[in-house]
Amino acid sequence: MGMTIVERILATKARRDKVVPGEIVTVDVDLSMTHDALGAHTIAKFKELTGEHGKVWSKDKIVVILDHYVPSNTIDTAKKVQNIESFVEEQKLTNYHGIGKGGICHKVLLEKGYVTPGKIIAGTDSHTTTHGVMGAFAIGVGVDDMAVIWKTGRTWERVPETLLVEVNGKLEEGVYSKDLMLKILNTLGVDGAIQKSLQFTGDTVYSLSIDSRSVLTNMAIEAGATNGIIDPDEKVVQYLEGRTKKEYSIIHGDEDANYEGIVKIKAFDIHEPLVAAPWSPANVKKVSELKGTKINQAFVGSCTNGRFEDLQTVAQILKGHKVAPSCRLIIIPASQEVFKEAAENGLLKIFVESEAFVSGPTCGPCMETHMGILGPEDVMISSANRNFRGRAGDPTAKIFLASPATVAASAITGQITDPRKYL
Amino acid sequence: MIIEGQVWRFGKDIDTDELFAGRFIMVGDERDPEAYKRSIIKGAFESLSTIGKGNKNIPDEFIDAVSRVVSGYNKDVHEDKMALKGHIIIAGENFGIGSSRQQAAEALRFFGISACLAETIHRIFFRNFWNLNGIAIDQRGISSIFETGDIARVDLQQYTVHNLTSKKEIKLHIKLPAEFIAMYSEGGLIPYHKKH
Repeated sequence: MGMTIVERILATKARRDKVVPGEIVTVDVDLSMTHDALGAHTIAKFKELTGEHGKVWSKDKIVVILDHYVPSNTIDTAKKVQNIESFVEEQKLTNYHGIGKGGICHKVLLEKGYVTPGKIIAGTDSHTTTHGVMGAFAIGVGVDDMAVIWKTGRTWERVPETLLVEVNGKLEEGVYSKDLMLKILNTLGVDGAIQKSLQFTGDTVYSLSIDSRSVLTNMAIEAGATNGIIDPDEKVVQYLEGRTKKEYSIIHGDEDANYEGIVKIKAFDIHEPLVAAPWSPANVKKVSELKGTKINQAFVGSCTNGRFEDLQTVAQILKGHKVAPSCRLIIIPASQEVFKEAAENGLLKIFVESEAFVSGPTCGPCMETHMGILGPEDVMISSANRNFRGRAGDPTAKIFLASPATVAASAITGQITDPRKYL
Repeated sequence: MIIEGQVWRFGKDIDTDELFAGRFIMVGDERDPEAYKRSIIKGAFESLSTIGKGNKNIPDEFIDAVSRVVSGYNKDVHEDKMALKGHIIIAGENFGIGSSRQQAAEALRFFGISACLAETIHRIFFRNFWNLNGIAIDQRGISSIFETGDIARVDLQQYTVHNLTSKKEIKLHIKLPAEFIAMYSEGGLIPYHKKH
């Protein structure tokens, strides 16, 4: 019996010939990432572990990115940033992305070529699963785990069973990878892949761009998965051209690998755009079922859907329209690179003319950080990834999750709206 | 390894935002452990009493007990005398869903919770709770044999959980690796790695 891609990566990084699901293995970590939200916390734990002058295992394999609370919103945040910056200097870390020099961590890691196939990536952020889009094993960890990684370059992991989601067929117009992922979450449930590896395959998945695919791996965590992954193809290699000079060797799963389950989805069964209603990303409805639901905030951005192609779709819909008087639209490019591309292509002008509020890259109103926070009874439609009660502000506020297209169309009318009539 | 404690029965889908809301993440200076602990306890109490209360999957009495922990810390009561010292949470599916924010697990440990047993547990929370020297175990059927107020005995030699109040018992499927037991007996991940 062969191994899945995840089993192969874990076996390689555990320096073994074979691993089987359920086993606990100690593996080498190729890249670690932390951000402003948990960076100072990780540093404190690292110092507790190694003493005041302990050295990290590799100054080149740690990426530190400020994204959640930028620019600093309080004195507490500013103090944590100072703490992070002195640590970066003290340890001579080579990969630091401060304010204006990066963007949202999961976008920056991909576009700067930090993530290559076959690697193990650990981040102090649950959406680190995103990086499985490059054929890497990418996991979220807490700060104690990260402190140990910084000291030893290794971590333990239970080899997960792999659940394969196979999607075939063409997505209809107005239906995007976000709608597909909501369909998958609706099929699996929020614990459908708990402690498992969620692997995506099928001609629909491989027809998507790397950006679109990354919505699937990003939200794999929303099904409880350990990681999300796509066995890499030529598009991954093309994506990395010009982004990295480092050599990498691609790891694939075996033909005769053993999957714990295979879930088959037909793309054309998703007849219309989908929306996740409160309070769960798996509580999915058709846009027509929620038509007319009033909203007063719309948000395009986040590590899930703040990419250039997302902004292009939004601009196409907004052009010649204005955001409803009863609604505010917040658009946040996921990175400086996306911001620049949006500026060069005239998208920012369209956004501003449609009376959207545009900000530099940050996580924004995805969660209750420092901007776009919801008040009592507010209703937001968002292109982000979670709609738990209290996720983005007051616990009585409601959050609906949808594709950037559905968010943009809803902002124009002030109510949940099918985007297809604007396309 | 055997622990006993009073049970709090939680519902399903307890997420990290209700245990520790986003607005408190940047509060508290980790370089001052005592002050940090207090700020985490306070942030968790405020999260539970707003978001947690609305979700209705955490008993109101638990949130009241947390408020006594907060005032206990304000009055410098010894940790062993805190309202939730050694208590055990038994929950439904999907416990600890969501963010990697370790504060969610830290808050429960700071309250004095010794174990979280649930039908299913989210991976990051599972790791965080063990790392912080708590016991986290997922076991199908566990939530059906406990009510709030029962006394649970978790036996990690025999791999059983007993309800000492109702005399019911469940066998655990989990087999902990030797490293876990060593880590637990040495006080958690950081103390363990300091030693080895």
